Amino acid sequence: MTSGLINTGALVKMLYSSLLASIGTAVVFAAAILGAVRASDMRRANRSAAAVAYAAVATVGVLVVVAVIVYGLLLIARK
Amino acid sequence: MSADIILVIVVGTALAFDFTNGFHDTANVVATSISTRAIGPKQAVVMASLLNFAGAFISLKVAATIGQGFVDTDAVTTTVVFAGLVGAIAWNLITWWLGLPSSSSHALIGGLVGSVVAAQGFAAVNGGGLLDNLIIPAIIAPVIAFAAAGISILFVYRIVGNLRPGPVSRGFRHGQLISGGMLSLSHGTNDAQKTMGVITLALVANGDIAANHFHVPDWVVISAASAIALGTFIGGWRIIKTLGTRIIDMDPAQGFAAQGAGAAVILAASSVGYPLSTTHVISGGIMGSGAAKRLSAVRWGVAGNIVTAWVLTLPAAGTIGALTYAVASLFGSGAVGPILITAAMLTALAAAFARRIQRAAPAPSTP
Repeated sequence: MTSGLINTGALVKMLYSSLLASIGTAVVFAAAILGAVRASDMRRANRSAAAVAYAAVATVGVLVVVAVIVYGLLLIARK
Repeated sequence: MSADIILVIVVGTALAFDFTNGFHDTANVVATSISTRAIGPKQAVVMASLLNFAGAFISLKVAATIGQGFVDTDAVTTTVVFAGLVGAIAWNLITWWLGLPSSSSHALIGGLVGSVVAAQGFAAVNGGGLLDNLIIPAIIAPVIAFAAAGISILFVYRIVGNLRPGPVSRGFRHGQLISGGMLSLSHGTNDAQKTMGVITLALVANGDIAANHFHVPDWVVISAASAIALGTFIGGWRIIKTLGTRIIDMDPAQGFAAQGAGAAVILAASSVGYPLSTTHVISGGIMGSGAAKRLSAVRWGVAGNIVTAWVLTLPAAGTIGALTYAVASLFGSGAVGPILITAAMLTALAAAFARRIQRAAPAPSTP
Protein backbone atom coordinates (compact mmCIF):
# COMPACT_ATOMS: atom_id res chain seq x y z
CA MET A 1 0.00 0.00 0.00
CA THR A 2 2.77 2.39 0.85
CA SER A 3 6.35 2.51 -0.23
CA GLY A 4 7.54 4.17 2.95
CA LEU A 5 8.10 7.42 1.07
CA ILE A 6 5.72 10.31 1.58
CA ASN A 7 2.87 10.03 -0.90
CA THR A 8 3.04 13.63 -2.09
CA GLY A 9 0.44 13.06 -4.82
CA ALA A 10 -2.30 12.08 -2.37
CA LEU A 11 -1.43 14.94 -0.02
CA VAL A 12 -1.48 17.49 -2.82
CA LYS A 13 -4.79 16.05 -4.04
CA MET A 14 -6.27 16.40 -0.56
CA LEU A 15 -4.90 19.94 -0.29
CA TYR A 16 -6.20 21.36 -3.56
CA SER A 17 -9.52 19.47 -3.63
CA SER A 18 -10.48 20.50 -0.09
CA LEU A 19 -9.39 24.13 -0.58
CA LEU A 20 -11.18 24.37 -3.93
CA ALA A 21 -14.36 22.71 -2.66
CA SER A 22 -14.67 24.69 0.57
CA ILE A 23 -13.67 28.12 -0.74
CA GLY A 24 -15.52 27.60 -4.04
CA THR A 25 -18.82 26.60 -2.42
CA ALA A 26 -18.57 29.39 0.17
CA VAL A 27 -18.01 32.02 -2.55
CA VAL A 28 -20.78 30.68 -4.80
CA PHE A 29 -23.22 30.39 -1.89
CA ALA A 30 -22.38 33.94 -0.78
CA ALA A 31 -23.05 35.08 -4.35
CA ALA A 32 -26.40 33.26 -4.22
CA ILE A 33 -27.31 35.12 -1.03
CA LEU A 34 -26.20 38.39 -2.62
CA GLY A 35 -28.47 37.61 -5.58
CA ALA A 36 -31.45 36.74 -3.38
CA VAL A 37 -31.12 39.85 -1.18
CA ARG A 38 -30.55 42.20 -4.12
CA ALA A 39 -33.46 40.61 -6.05
CA SER A 40 -35.74 41.36 -3.11
CA ASP A 41 -34.44 44.95 -2.93
CA MET A 42 -34.94 45.43 -6.69
CA ARG A 43 -38.50 44.09 -6.56
CA ARG A 44 -39.30 46.61 -3.83
CA ALA A 45 -37.81 49.36 -6.01
CA ASN A 46 -39.96 48.16 -8.97
CA ARG A 47 -36.85 47.38 -11.04
CA SER A 48 -38.13 44.14 -12.56
CA ALA A 49 -35.29 43.45 -14.98
CA ALA A 50 -32.62 43.83 -12.31
CA ALA A 51 -34.73 41.74 -9.92
CA VAL A 52 -34.93 38.91 -12.46
CA ALA A 53 -31.19 39.11 -13.12
CA TYR A 54 -30.33 38.93 -9.42
CA ALA A 55 -32.84 36.11 -8.88
CA ALA A 56 -31.10 34.21 -11.68
CA VAL A 57 -27.75 34.71 -9.90
CA ALA A 58 -29.30 33.31 -6.70
CA THR A 59 -30.82 30.30 -8.47
CA VAL A 60 -27.67 29.47 -10.39
CA GLY A 61 -25.59 29.84 -7.23
CA VAL A 62 -27.73 27.38 -5.27
CA LEU A 63 -27.79 24.93 -8.19
CA VAL A 64 -23.99 25.11 -8.54
CA VAL A 65 -23.50 24.41 -4.81
CA VAL A 66 -25.83 21.39 -4.98
CA ALA A 67 -24.15 20.15 -8.18
CA VAL A 68 -20.65 20.46 -6.66
CA ILE A 69 -21.72 18.47 -3.58
CA VAL A 70 -23.40 15.71 -5.62
CA TYR A 71 -20.43 15.51 -8.01
CA GLY A 72 -17.96 15.34 -5.11
CA LEU A 73 -19.88 12.56 -3.38
CA LEU A 74 -20.20 10.57 -6.61
CA LEU A 75 -16.47 10.96 -7.20
CA ILE A 76 -15.68 9.57 -3.73
CA ALA A 77 -18.26 6.76 -3.95
CA ARG A 78 -17.01 5.56 -7.36
CA LYS A 79 -13.43 4.98 -6.10
CA MET B 1 -13.25 -22.42 19.11
CA SER B 2 -10.92 -20.32 21.27
CA ALA B 3 -10.02 -18.12 18.29
CA ASP B 4 -13.69 -17.61 17.48
CA ILE B 5 -14.40 -16.52 21.06
CA ILE B 6 -11.61 -13.93 20.83
CA LEU B 7 -13.00 -12.80 17.46
CA VAL B 8 -16.46 -12.26 19.00
CA ILE B 9 -14.86 -10.25 21.84
CA VAL B 10 -12.86 -8.20 19.31
CA VAL B 11 -15.95 -7.43 17.19
CA GLY B 12 -17.92 -6.45 20.32
CA THR B 13 -15.05 -4.26 21.59
CA ALA B 14 -14.59 -2.63 18.18
CA LEU B 15 -18.29 -1.80 17.92
CA ALA B 16 -18.22 -0.43 21.48
CA PHE B 17 -15.27 1.77 20.41
CA ASP B 18 -17.28 2.90 17.38
CA PHE B 19 -20.27 3.71 19.59
CA THR B 20 -18.12 5.82 21.95
CA ASN B 21 -16.60 7.56 18.91
CA GLY B 22 -20.06 8.68 17.77
CA PHE B 23 -21.04 9.48 21.36
CA HIS B 24 -18.05 11.78 21.91
CA ASP B 25 -18.07 13.45 18.50
CA THR B 26 -21.74 14.49 18.38
CA ALA B 27 -20.82 17.82 19.96
CA ASN B 28 -18.25 18.57 17.24
CA VAL B 29 -20.69 17.76 14.48
CA VAL B 30 -23.83 19.53 15.71
CA ALA B 31 -22.65 22.32 18.03
CA THR B 32 -21.94 24.85 15.25
CA SER B 33 -25.38 24.45 13.65
CA ILE B 34 -27.14 24.67 17.00
CA SER B 35 -25.15 27.64 18.29
CA THR B 36 -26.03 29.74 15.23
CA ARG B 37 -29.67 28.57 15.52
CA ALA B 38 -29.54 27.10 12.03
CA ILE B 39 -31.38 24.04 13.32
CA GLY B 40 -32.95 22.91 16.58
CA PRO B 41 -30.95 20.57 18.84
CA LYS B 42 -33.26 17.58 18.41
CA GLN B 43 -33.40 17.90 14.64
CA ALA B 44 -29.61 18.40 14.51
CA VAL B 45 -28.95 15.20 16.45
CA VAL B 46 -31.40 13.11 14.39
CA MET B 47 -29.95 14.49 11.14
CA ALA B 48 -26.38 13.86 12.34
CA SER B 49 -27.21 10.26 13.29
CA LEU B 50 -28.85 9.48 9.95
CA LEU B 51 -26.07 11.10 7.92
CA ASN B 52 -23.35 9.41 10.00
CA PHE B 53 -25.04 6.12 9.11
CA ALA B 54 -25.27 7.01 5.42
CA GLY B 55 -21.69 8.31 5.33
CA ALA B 56 -20.31 4.95 6.37
CA PHE B 57 -21.42 3.48 3.04
CA ILE B 58 -19.76 6.05 0.77
CA SER B 59 -16.17 4.80 0.68
CA LEU B 60 -13.98 2.00 2.05
CA LYS B 61 -10.53 3.45 1.37
CA VAL B 62 -9.89 4.46 4.99
CA ALA B 63 -10.83 0.93 6.15
CA ALA B 64 -8.25 -0.47 3.73
CA THR B 65 -5.57 1.90 5.09
CA ILE B 66 -6.32 0.88 8.68
CA GLY B 67 -6.32 -2.80 7.73
CA GLN B 68 -3.21 -2.80 5.55
CA GLY B 69 -1.31 0.47 5.92
CA PHE B 70 0.28 0.43 9.37
CA VAL B 71 1.18 -3.09 10.41
CA ASP B 72 2.22 -6.32 8.74
CA THR B 73 -1.06 -8.29 8.47
CA ASP B 74 0.86 -11.58 8.85
CA ALA B 75 2.00 -10.43 12.31
CA VAL B 76 -1.52 -9.69 13.52
CA THR B 77 -3.55 -12.10 15.64
CA THR B 78 -7.00 -11.56 17.09
CA THR B 79 -5.38 -11.06 20.52
CA VAL B 80 -3.17 -8.32 19.02
CA VAL B 81 -6.24 -6.52 17.63
CA PHE B 82 -8.02 -6.96 20.98
CA ALA B 83 -5.06 -5.48 22.90
CA GLY B 84 -4.89 -2.56 20.45
CA LEU B 85 -8.58 -1.80 20.96
CA VAL B 86 -8.17 -1.93 24.75
CA GLY B 87 -5.26 0.54 24.43
CA ALA B 88 -7.45 2.91 22.40
CA ILE B 89 -10.51 2.67 24.64
CA ALA B 90 -8.45 3.03 27.85
CA TRP B 91 -6.64 6.13 26.52
CA ASN B 92 -9.96 7.61 25.34
CA LEU B 93 -11.42 7.14 28.81
CA ILE B 94 -8.33 8.62 30.50
CA THR B 95 -8.36 11.72 28.27
CA TRP B 96 -12.14 12.05 28.65
CA TRP B 97 -11.63 11.95 32.44
CA LEU B 98 -8.84 14.58 32.25
CA GLY B 99 -10.74 16.71 29.74
CA LEU B 100 -8.06 16.47 27.03
CA PRO B 101 -9.32 16.74 23.43
CA SER B 102 -7.59 13.61 22.15
CA SER B 103 -8.24 11.83 18.87
CA SER B 104 -10.01 8.46 18.94
CA SER B 105 -8.49 7.65 15.57
CA HIS B 106 -4.93 8.23 16.70
CA ALA B 107 -5.62 6.25 19.88
CA LEU B 108 -6.88 3.34 17.80
CA ILE B 109 -3.83 3.26 15.55
CA GLY B 110 -1.46 3.87 18.49
CA GLY B 111 -3.01 0.99 20.45
CA LEU B 112 -2.77 -1.32 17.46
CA VAL B 113 0.85 -0.44 16.74
CA GLY B 114 1.77 -0.87 20.43
CA SER B 115 0.24 -4.34 20.65
CA VAL B 116 1.89 -5.40 17.37
CA VAL B 117 5.27 -4.22 18.68
CA ALA B 118 4.71 -6.19 21.92
CA ALA B 119 3.80 -9.29 19.91
CA GLN B 120 6.26 -9.21 17.01
CA GLY B 121 8.70 -6.34 17.55
CA PHE B 122 9.21 -3.11 15.60
CA ALA B 123 9.88 -4.99 12.34
CA ALA B 124 6.14 -5.71 12.03
CA VAL B 125 5.31 -1.99 11.98
CA ASN B 126 5.18 -0.15 8.66
CA GLY B 127 6.96 3.05 9.74
CA GLY B 128 6.65 4.57 6.29
CA GLY B 129 2.93 3.86 6.27
CA LEU B 130 2.52 5.52 9.67
CA LEU B 131 4.36 8.63 8.53
CA ASP B 132 2.71 8.68 5.12
CA ASN B 133 -0.88 7.87 6.05
CA LEU B 134 -1.22 9.10 9.62
CA ILE B 135 1.35 11.53 10.99
CA ILE B 136 1.73 13.92 8.06
CA PRO B 137 -2.01 14.08 7.22
CA ALA B 138 -2.71 14.55 10.96
CA ILE B 139 -0.49 17.65 11.00
CA ILE B 140 -1.59 19.05 7.64
CA ALA B 141 -5.37 18.45 7.67
CA PRO B 142 -6.32 20.78 10.57
CA VAL B 143 -4.07 23.47 9.04
CA ILE B 144 -5.86 23.10 5.68
CA ALA B 145 -9.25 23.32 7.44
CA PHE B 146 -8.03 26.43 9.31
CA ALA B 147 -6.85 28.08 6.08
CA ALA B 148 -9.89 27.04 4.02
CA ALA B 149 -12.36 28.35 6.61
CA GLY B 150 -10.36 31.55 7.09
CA ILE B 151 -10.06 32.32 3.36
CA SER B 152 -13.73 31.38 2.80
CA ILE B 153 -15.02 33.74 5.48
CA LEU B 154 -12.88 36.61 4.15
CA PHE B 155 -14.40 36.14 0.68
CA VAL B 156 -17.89 35.77 2.14
CA TYR B 157 -17.65 38.99 4.17
CA ARG B 158 -16.36 40.81 1.08
CA ILE B 159 -19.33 39.59 -1.01
CA VAL B 160 -22.17 40.05 1.51
CA GLY B 161 -20.62 42.64 3.84
CA ASN B 162 -22.67 45.56 2.51
CA LEU B 163 -26.02 43.78 2.60
CA ARG B 164 -28.69 43.90 5.29
CA PRO B 165 -27.53 41.50 8.03
CA GLY B 166 -30.94 39.92 8.68
CA PRO B 167 -31.49 38.24 5.29
CA VAL B 168 -27.78 37.32 5.06
CA SER B 169 -27.89 35.51 8.41
CA ARG B 170 -31.11 33.74 7.37
CA GLY B 171 -29.46 32.68 4.11
CA PHE B 172 -26.40 31.25 5.83
CA ARG B 173 -28.60 29.48 8.38
CA HIS B 174 -30.27 27.69 5.44
CA GLY B 175 -26.78 27.02 4.05
CA GLN B 176 -25.78 25.45 7.34
CA LEU B 177 -28.40 22.76 6.83
CA ILE B 178 -26.27 21.68 3.86
CA SER B 179 -22.81 22.29 5.38
CA GLY B 180 -23.82 20.69 8.71
CA GLY B 181 -25.27 17.72 6.84
CA MET B 182 -22.07 17.35 4.84
CA LEU B 183 -20.03 17.48 8.04
CA SER B 184 -22.10 14.67 9.57
CA LEU B 185 -21.81 12.65 6.37
CA SER B 186 -18.03 13.14 6.24
CA HIS B 187 -17.71 12.17 9.92
CA GLY B 188 -19.50 8.87 9.22
CA THR B 189 -17.37 8.32 6.13
CA ASN B 190 -14.02 8.66 7.91
CA ASP B 191 -14.67 7.48 11.47
CA ALA B 192 -16.93 4.47 10.90
CA GLN B 193 -14.37 3.10 8.44
CA LYS B 194 -11.71 2.90 11.15
CA THR B 195 -13.80 0.34 13.03
CA MET B 196 -14.51 -1.50 9.77
CA GLY B 197 -10.75 -1.68 9.13
CA VAL B 198 -10.02 -3.08 12.59
CA ILE B 199 -12.78 -5.72 12.43
CA THR B 200 -11.63 -6.75 8.96
CA LEU B 201 -8.04 -6.98 10.23
CA ALA B 202 -9.30 -9.35 12.97
CA LEU B 203 -11.15 -11.40 10.34
CA VAL B 204 -7.90 -11.66 8.35
CA ALA B 205 -6.03 -12.69 11.50
CA ASN B 206 -8.68 -15.33 12.21
CA GLY B 207 -8.37 -16.73 8.67
CA ASP B 208 -11.89 -15.72 7.61
CA ILE B 209 -10.54 -13.39 4.91
CA ALA B 210 -7.37 -13.94 2.86
CA ALA B 211 -4.73 -11.24 3.47
CA ASN B 212 -4.16 -10.86 -0.28
CA HIS B 213 -7.91 -10.45 -0.87
CA PHE B 214 -8.59 -7.70 1.68
CA HIS B 215 -12.22 -6.59 1.51
CA VAL B 216 -14.73 -5.30 4.04
CA PRO B 217 -17.78 -7.64 4.36
CA ASP B 218 -21.24 -6.04 4.16
CA TRP B 219 -22.18 -7.05 7.72
CA VAL B 220 -19.10 -5.18 8.99
CA VAL B 221 -20.11 -2.02 7.09
CA ILE B 222 -23.70 -2.18 8.35
CA SER B 223 -22.79 -2.91 11.98
CA ALA B 224 -20.10 -0.18 12.10
CA ALA B 225 -22.49 2.33 10.50
CA SER B 226 -25.21 1.41 13.01
CA ALA B 227 -22.85 1.65 16.02
CA ILE B 228 -21.57 5.14 15.15
CA ALA B 229 -25.08 6.37 14.30
CA LEU B 230 -26.46 5.04 17.59
CA GLY B 231 -23.55 6.60 19.49
CA THR B 232 -24.17 9.94 17.78
CA PHE B 233 -27.87 9.77 18.61
CA ILE B 234 -27.46 8.87 22.29
CA GLY B 235 -24.49 11.23 22.74
CA GLY B 236 -26.61 13.99 21.25
CA TRP B 237 -29.30 13.85 23.92
CA ARG B 238 -26.59 14.23 26.55
CA ILE B 239 -25.14 17.22 24.68
CA ILE B 240 -28.52 18.94 24.44
CA LYS B 241 -28.78 19.00 28.22
CA THR B 242 -25.43 20.75 28.63
CA LEU B 243 -25.55 22.81 25.47
CA GLY B 244 -25.47 26.13 27.25
CA THR B 245 -21.85 25.66 28.30
CA ARG B 246 -20.59 24.11 25.11
CA ILE B 247 -21.78 26.31 22.29
CA ILE B 248 -19.35 28.31 20.22
CA ASP B 249 -20.01 31.98 19.68
CA MET B 250 -20.05 32.58 15.92
CA ASP B 251 -22.32 34.02 13.25
CA PRO B 252 -24.08 31.81 10.65
CA ALA B 253 -21.61 32.76 7.88
CA GLN B 254 -18.69 31.66 10.05
CA GLY B 255 -20.54 28.46 10.93
CA PHE B 256 -21.15 27.76 7.25
CA ALA B 257 -17.46 28.37 6.39
CA ALA B 258 -16.18 26.26 9.30
CA GLN B 259 -18.48 23.33 8.58
CA GLY B 260 -17.86 23.52 4.83
CA ALA B 261 -14.09 23.51 5.33
CA GLY B 262 -14.24 20.64 7.81
CA ALA B 263 -16.49 18.55 5.56
CA ALA B 264 -14.36 19.23 2.47
CA VAL B 265 -11.09 18.26 4.20
CA ILE B 266 -12.53 15.08 5.76
CA LEU B 267 -14.19 13.97 2.51
CA ALA B 268 -11.04 14.71 0.48
CA ALA B 269 -8.98 12.73 3.01
CA SER B 270 -11.46 9.84 2.92
CA SER B 271 -11.22 9.71 -0.87
CA VAL B 272 -7.43 9.15 -0.69
CA GLY B 273 -7.72 6.82 2.34
CA TYR B 274 -6.34 9.01 5.16
CA PRO B 275 -7.77 8.21 8.61
CA LEU B 276 -7.98 11.71 10.10
CA SER B 277 -8.90 13.00 13.51
CA THR B 278 -12.27 14.53 12.67
CA THR B 279 -12.17 16.39 16.01
CA HIS B 280 -8.94 18.17 15.07
CA VAL B 281 -10.14 19.03 11.55
CA ILE B 282 -13.45 20.47 12.77
CA SER B 283 -11.60 22.45 15.49
CA GLY B 284 -9.22 23.76 12.79
CA GLY B 285 -12.17 24.96 10.70
CA ILE B 286 -13.84 26.69 13.64
CA MET B 287 -10.60 28.41 14.66
CA GLY B 288 -9.92 29.49 11.06
CA SER B 289 -13.32 31.14 10.65
CA GLY B 290 -12.88 32.84 14.04
CA ALA B 291 -9.30 33.99 13.41
CA ALA B 292 -10.19 35.56 10.05
CA LYS B 293 -12.68 37.81 11.80
CA ARG B 294 -10.65 38.56 14.92
CA LEU B 295 -7.50 36.77 16.11
CA SER B 296 -8.46 37.20 19.77
CA ALA B 297 -11.77 35.37 19.12
CA VAL B 298 -9.89 32.10 18.94
CA ARG B 299 -9.33 30.11 22.09
CA TRP B 300 -5.63 29.49 21.49
CA GLY B 301 -5.43 27.54 24.74
CA VAL B 302 -7.70 24.91 23.18
CA ALA B 303 -5.31 24.69 20.24
CA GLY B 304 -2.44 24.12 22.67
CA ASN B 305 -4.40 21.36 24.42
CA ILE B 306 -5.07 19.69 21.08
CA VAL B 307 -1.36 19.68 20.22
CA THR B 308 -0.45 18.28 23.66
CA ALA B 309 -3.08 15.54 23.41
CA TRP B 310 -2.00 14.76 19.85
CA VAL B 311 1.66 14.34 20.82
CA LEU B 312 0.75 12.11 23.78
CA THR B 313 -1.91 9.94 22.14
CA LEU B 314 0.14 7.63 19.89
CA PRO B 315 2.78 6.66 22.49
CA ALA B 316 0.28 6.49 25.39
CA ALA B 317 -2.30 4.34 23.59
CA GLY B 318 0.57 2.27 22.18
CA THR B 319 2.00 1.64 25.65
CA ILE B 320 -1.40 0.57 27.02
CA GLY B 321 -1.93 -1.68 23.97
CA ALA B 322 1.51 -3.28 24.49
CA LEU B 323 0.89 -3.82 28.23
CA THR B 324 -2.53 -5.33 27.50
CA TYR B 325 -0.99 -7.75 25.02
CA ALA B 326 1.70 -8.69 27.56
CA VAL B 327 -0.95 -9.36 30.25
CA ALA B 328 -3.17 -11.35 27.84
CA SER B 329 -0.14 -13.44 26.81
CA LEU B 330 0.45 -14.46 30.43
CA PHE B 331 -2.65 -16.66 30.08
CA GLY B 332 -1.44 -18.31 26.85
CA SER B 333 -2.73 -17.81 23.31
CA GLY B 334 -6.32 -18.84 24.10
CA ALA B 335 -9.39 -16.82 25.01
CA VAL B 336 -8.74 -16.73 28.78
CA GLY B 337 -6.59 -13.57 28.69
CA PRO B 338 -9.02 -11.47 26.58
CA ILE B 339 -12.01 -12.72 28.63
CA LEU B 340 -10.34 -11.77 31.94
CA ILE B 341 -9.22 -8.37 30.62
CA THR B 342 -12.72 -7.65 29.27
CA ALA B 343 -14.25 -8.63 32.61
CA ALA B 344 -11.75 -6.42 34.47
CA MET B 345 -12.50 -3.47 32.15
CA LEU B 346 -16.26 -3.86 32.52
CA THR B 347 -15.91 -4.09 36.31
CA ALA B 348 -13.74 -0.96 36.40
CA LEU B 349 -16.20 0.90 34.18
CA ALA B 350 -19.18 -0.16 36.31
CA ALA B 351 -17.32 0.93 39.47
CA ALA B 352 -16.45 4.31 37.92
CA PHE B 353 -20.06 4.92 36.85
CA ALA B 354 -21.39 3.83 40.25
CA ARG B 355 -18.98 6.24 41.95
CA ARG B 356 -20.03 9.06 39.65
CA ILE B 357 -23.73 8.39 40.21
CA GLN B 358 -23.11 8.23 43.98
CA ARG B 359 -21.36 11.61 43.85
CA ALA B 360 -24.13 13.14 41.72
CA ALA B 361 -26.92 11.92 44.04
CA PRO B 362 -28.33 14.71 46.26
CA ALA B 363 -27.49 14.49 49.94
CA PRO B 364 -30.45 13.39 52.10
CA SER B 365 -32.18 16.34 53.74
CA THR B 366 -31.89 16.65 57.48
CA PRO B 367 -34.94 17.46 59.59
